Amino acid sequence: MRRFGRQCRGQGKVFVSLVRQTETQLLATGQAVVGLARAAQECVRGAAHLTEDQQGRWATQLTGALAAHHQIVTQSRRLTQGKLLTQCKIVNAYDPTIAPICKGKSNCPTQFGRKPGLIAEPASGFIFAFALPVGNPADPSYVVPLVDKVQTAIAHVAGRPTLAIHSVAGDLALNDSKLRETLHGRGILTVGIPQTVEPLTPAPTPEEIRTVLHEAGLHHQRTPHQVQLACASGYSRPVVESIIASLLCRGAARITYKGHRGAIVQIGMAVLAHNAATVRRIHQDRLSTRAQKFRRLLRLKRHNVNEFNVPKN
Amino acid sequence: MRLLRHLQHWLTGQGFHIAVADFVPETHPVRQWADTFPWVALVAAVDRSFAQRFPTPTARGRAPVATRVLLALELLKHELHCSDEQICSQLRTDLAVMYACGIREVRVERSQGHFVLPEGLAQFRRRLDAALMDELLALQAAAAMEQGLVSPAHLVVDTFPSEQGSQRVNDAATLYKAKKKSSRSLPTSPSSALPRARR
Repeated sequence: MRRFGRQCRGQGKVFVSLVRQTETQLLATGQAVVGLARAAQECVRGAAHLTEDQQGRWATQLTGALAAHHQIVTQSRRLTQGKLLTQCKIVNAYDPTIAPICKGKSNCPTQFGRKPGLIAEPASGFIFAFALPVGNPADPSYVVPLVDKVQTAIAHVAGRPTLAIHSVAGDLALNDSKLRETLHGRGILTVGIPQTVEPLTPAPTPEEIRTVLHEAGLHHQRTPHQVQLACASGYSRPVVESIIASLLCRGAARITYKGHRGAIVQIGMAVLAHNAATVRRIHQDRLSTRAQKFRRLLRLKRHNVNEFNVPKN
Repeated sequence: MRLLRHLQHWLTGQGFHIAVADFVPETHPVRQWADTFPWVALVAAVDRSFAQRFPTPTARGRAPVATRVLLALELLKHELHCSDEQICSQLRTDLAVMYACGIREVRVERSQGHFVLPEGLAQFRRRLDAALMDELLALQAAAAMEQGLVSPAHLVVDTFPSEQGSQRVNDAATLYKAKKKSSRSLPTSPSSALPRARR
């Protein structure tokens, strides 16, 4: 079977000349569109029978269409000239926010979609915030906005003023020196973000703890006990996978709502539903042994089975 | 009381009363799930956001369906993995869904075709935006932290891919699906086919 483009990984052939021919034909066909759209804009401005709302709506739609066309033309010209694209390829003319993403499996073609990021408590799987940027940016760019959102949520808490983020864990993709500096500047440990493929030490020695605190420059802000907890609750692929699987089964696997805003609403609703299910599990004490241990160490509330269950609202 | 006023057009049946809270057992998963939400704060945030962004110039016309009902339906849609039509249909017949939507009492009325139309739910969803979703999540997280159920001390960050749905089918998606289907239709392992070939 003949295919356009190339596969993400694998042995797929690239038909460069065919791509260039097609792009040239598309450019020639689309040349007339700009003139027509501009003429339509003039007509809309001069149309007396249209209300202001209608004129505004049409003008916005035409401006959006022209901007999309300009983006596609730029991309096509770079392809015909054999230049690399400066950013992700536009894969949907109606929604340029969709980007090619890789699923992390070998021998599969590049998928088109979105890449939401989440920040969660590893003990129970409660998601504090999510981010859905346009396109497919690098993983470290997700962290600071997510941490900001968690701090906004902490600011909403009135009864417990001592809450703070002590550490952030992630996979090797988050290993970025600038990100580490930013997080250390905010008093957040980054021991959970690995620097090599070597596994993290779950129980560090006192010497290692001192090194961690010295590197982060957080001697006065973080205690050795907090470093121990941060190392123990470091990044665990099965834990994160379970959170992601819960979101995927709540409709986050396929974005069916329209546009970038629709995607945010769909992912957001899935996260809210997942969190409610997590709180229900905490109430029923249906947590893994590891999660129960962490909750004890963090001195989190254990549900009292004798408590009378009265709906609050 | 306000909720009842909003839903008056379908709660004034001729039949007998059903106390929804008495009917749905306390151990029902949907009831337990719904009881975890800080509904008052969430509904107030949605109402505030809508009032700022979509001010209603007049109070004329029928009162809209309550925000509490629509927000709960949207969340239930994800929890129960339903479409708009399915969840609106369930609201008409399923008392647990009614409980999750904050309805505590209904009158039996067989002739009533629906409670909330799917179009109303779609209109509600169209008004939600990124800032409001962040606020709703922050309120839910704050409520859980305040109760001492979760702690933000040690967190984990990760990303995951989300496939674009089939709003408009493109060639790449068709090709990917065709490839997956053909691989499924192939024999699972060559070892199972081997004995037959030997015979």
